[in-house]
Order: sequence, then structure tokens, then C-alpha cells
Amino acid sequence: MNSAIRIAIALLAVVVLAALPWFGSDVIVQFGISTLLLAVLAQGWNIIGGYTGYPSFGNSTFFGLGAYGVAVAMVQWNMPFWVGMVFGAAMAVCFAILLGLPVLRLKGHYFAIATLALAQVVAAIVSNIPLFGQNIGLVLPPLNNDAMFYELSLALLLMATLTVWWLTRSRFGFGLIAIRENEEGAAVMGVNTTLYKVMAFALSGLFSSLAGGIQAYWITFLDPASAFDISLNVKMIIMAVFGGPGTVLGPIVGAVVLSAVSEVLSSEVTNAAGLFFGIVVVAAVVLMPRGLADIVHHFRKSGWRYFVQNIRAHRI
Amino acid sequence: MSVAGKSTDGALLRVSGLGAGYGGMPVLHSVSLEVRPAEIVAVVGSNGAGKTTLLRALSRVIAATGQIEFKGRDLVPLTPDQAFAAGLVQVPEGRQLFDRMTVEDNLLMAADRRSDKAVALEDLRRMYALFPRLGERRRQLAGSMSGGEQQMCAMARALMARPILLAIDEMSLGLAPVVVEQLMEVLARIRDEGVTVLLVEQDVHLALSAADRGYVMETGRIVHEGAAKDLIDDPAVRKAYLGL
Repeated sequence: MNSAIRIAIALLAVVVLAALPWFGSDVIVQFGISTLLLAVLAQGWNIIGGYTGYPSFGNSTFFGLGAYGVAVAMVQWNMPFWVGMVFGAAMAVCFAILLGLPVLRLKGHYFAIATLALAQVVAAIVSNIPLFGQNIGLVLPPLNNDAMFYELSLALLLMATLTVWWLTRSRFGFGLIAIRENEEGAAVMGVNTTLYKVMAFALSGLFSSLAGGIQAYWITFLDPASAFDISLNVKMIIMAVFGGPGTVLGPIVGAVVLSAVSEVLSSEVTNAAGLFFGIVVVAAVVLMPRGLADIVHHFRKSGWRYFVQNIRAHRI
Repeated sequence: MSVAGKSTDGALLRVSGLGAGYGGMPVLHSVSLEVRPAEIVAVVGSNGAGKTTLLRALSRVIAATGQIEFKGRDLVPLTPDQAFAAGLVQVPEGRQLFDRMTVEDNLLMAADRRSDKAVALEDLRRMYALFPRLGERRRQLAGSMSGGEQQMCAMARALMARPILLAIDEMSLGLAPVVVEQLMEVLARIRDEGVTVLLVEQDVHLALSAADRGYVMETGRIVHEGAAKDLIDDPAVRKAYLGL
């Protein structure tokens, strides 16, 4: 496939998706908004986790800060929505830079654990600040316009995806992949590893916080427990890894497929939905540990043997 | 210091009183050495003598005290990427390739030091001429090649940065003699093209027979120095390292 056809298909997909609120039902549009926001989160995580190789559990913290940015600006200061988005994004980016400097010195599990603690700490701090509504939370002015939230989420996902696409072709993105593959090798090859890692963390935080801002205005209620929910971080990792971390489209496909699976399960087998979702995730890890994107590359060559090879390779 | 100032004439790299270590544990004790333009200098010594630590300190990967004067500029306050930008490029121990990137991407990674894309492609062609094996395997993942090919890839990657001083750590480690011989020929060729080489080796005989001058390290100190051919004949060196 040459690039002109690829671009045409991508544009067509965007146009069809953008037109969805005009022909889809309310339920579909609402499903669309939450899926798009999850896809933005997975794509944001992809920058730090997929490309740079740092498994961040701090992205739900950025999401929460973005949500609070909008809530505080609109409820406490009576400012318009977009000011809240800017405020939330600024908080998240500053937080990512200040925290990234010490925390990004850690690697692998240590980095994961350090960032895991973040959400808890920030939630505890927020519940003690009157401006942030303490434990009680904040109620935003309702806006009954799902079509707008949908288009906003789609635009944000488009922005995040274009950013990731740019990463695959830019020197900056090349440096991030080099850090993931071999950090010391990257350092001796002239990559300013600290700067690159902090920038990747901040970029990842930027998209997470913007998703949080849209979510807050859409749901119209915010408290520390829902804003800094660590299971949201787990979700974005599962989605990114399911689709293929370190690829442009993988996290989006992962978010859409898993959202759909979880939606169907929770309406079909209400009580046991969690159980079945767990089975899907375990099967994915066993059969395709490198995500859907890897299947696309290898299935043509090895066929069904691809799955057998994966099971063997991991001695399960 | 006045004496030191004088001897800078002609030296590309002048290290004096260099100390470095890991955590609170010092490894290098007041190391001093000099590398002049377009020569191959070997630093030899047994396992644990501090050779790798010396290179890591020079390329600023670990903290160091003392002076590292490169082209008349002190490297000690710099970061690894700044040392790289100044032209001191390392082929690190264990190669440290980007395993899941192709050979070509590994090489292009280092072309960062210049921004001209046409020049980078021209350099790429030069590397494939220097190491034909890499040309054959340019689309292969670096981690899937043999040890010798990986070492070629690591050297080509460093050369892509057009180094002024190329510092190579344990080039011969774990490689077949025939491959080592090829790599040595490449070293001689790039030296003739004006690249200065600092070769750190455990294989004392190999290093000293290729080098112009040499330093012998022991427990973090320089214990002998001189012209490479004199060191090979030095009874103490022969006894300690060559088993003769």
C-alpha cells in the first residue's frame, strides 16, 4: 500500500468517526466518548511506556490533575472551560517535570512502584485543600451536549496520535526508542537522556490531563477517589499493551476492542463481567504478549503457529 | 600547573589527577595520561584494573574528579551528550547496541551529531564500504547478529558520529581471532584518516602491537607508560601480562 492510499483511508476513517453523532444513538455516542478518552489515555501512556520503556503508573495522576484544573477553574473561579483545560494541563506538565527529574532515575519495577505511590499521595493532598473541594468533591455546571464532548475527544485523540506518529519519524522519538532499547548506549551516543525522558513524561502527562479535563466537564462531578483512580492507570496500560505498545495505532485498537468487549460483557453477563474480562486479558498475554500489532506483522508468515510459538516461548 | 599548561601543546586529550568510582568506592586514583592527534593509544591491564571505569569517566557517564582536557576544554562539568557533541565518542563495553532496532537505524542514531541528512547518508555508505558485512545486514535487527558483527555495528555506529577521539572498550572480547584481525585493520585505516583512537584492552599483546603508545594500569593507577614497542619488550610487562 502506498502512502497516498493510507492517508486517504485515515482521512476517511476520521470523517466517518466525526460524523457519528449525526447518525449514532445516544448510547453509541456516550460509548464513543468514553472509548475515545480511554484511547487518548492509552496513547498518552504509549509515549512514556511504549516508546520510552518506562512503565508509568503516574498517568492517572495527570488525568486527575487535568480534571481538577477544569473543575477548579469553572466552579471556584467561574472561568470558561478552556481556561480550565490550560490550567489543568499546566499543573500536569509542571508536576511531570518536577517529579520526573528524580523518579525517572529509577528503572523498570522501581519506576513503576514509585509512580504508583503518586496517585495515592496526590489524592491525599487534594482531599485536604479547600480550593479543590476537599473530600466532598466539586460539582460542575452541567452541559447537555454529548456531540460536542464527542468531537472534542476525537480531536484530542487525533492530536495525540499525530504526536505519536511524529515521534516515529523525528529525532526526538528516535532518541526515546534508543533509551528504551539501551539507555547507556543512548547516553554514549549523544542522547541527553534526562531531558528526553522528562519531555516524554511531560508529553504523556499533557494528553492524560486534557482527557481528564474533558471527562470532568462531561461527568460534571469530581472527587479525589474518582479523579485519582489507580485502576484507570491499569486500564490504559492493558489497552496499550493489548494493542501493541510502541506502535502508532496499537493503543487505539486496543482501547476500542477492549472497551467493546467490556461493554458487551457487562450487558450480557452483568455479574461475571469482570471475570470474563480477566480471561480475555490473560488469553491476550499468553497468546500475543507483544500485542495485536505484532500479530499483524507475524500472522501472515507463521499463521496459527504464531500463538503456539508464543506459548512455548514463555513456557506457560 | 605551569608545567601542565606547557605539555598541552599537541595533546588532544590530557587527563590529570583523574579520580572516579561507584558509590563511595573509589576505583581510579589520580590517573594521568595523554593522547595526541592521530595516534592509537592503548590502555592495558588485567581484569578489575579500572580500564572500563576510566572510559566511562572520560565519556562522562559516571562522576569524576580531576581534569579531563579535550581540545583545550575541560570535560569534567559536562554531561555524556555534551562530551559526545565535543567529539569524544565511545564504543562501550558489551557494545550496548539498540538490539531491536535495525543495523541501519543503529548507525543513523549516531548521526545526531550533525544535522545534515545528505552527509549522514554519505557516511552510511562509507560505513558499509568499511564493513561490508553490515551492508549485507542493514535491515536485520542488531541483536540478532553474531558477536563479531555486533562489534562491527558498534564501531560503525561510533564512527557515524565522526569522532575526533574514538574510545573503544574491550574490542576483542569474545571474538574470533580472524574477526579481531579485521577490526584491527579498520582501526589502522581510520587512524590514517585522522581519527585518534584510545583502545582499552585486556589482550595486552594485541593492543600493544597495534598501538603507537601504551599505558599499563593496575588497581586504578597507571604503572607503566611508553612507546608500545618498548612496553612489549619491557621485562616487567612481559612477565606480568604476557606470561613470558
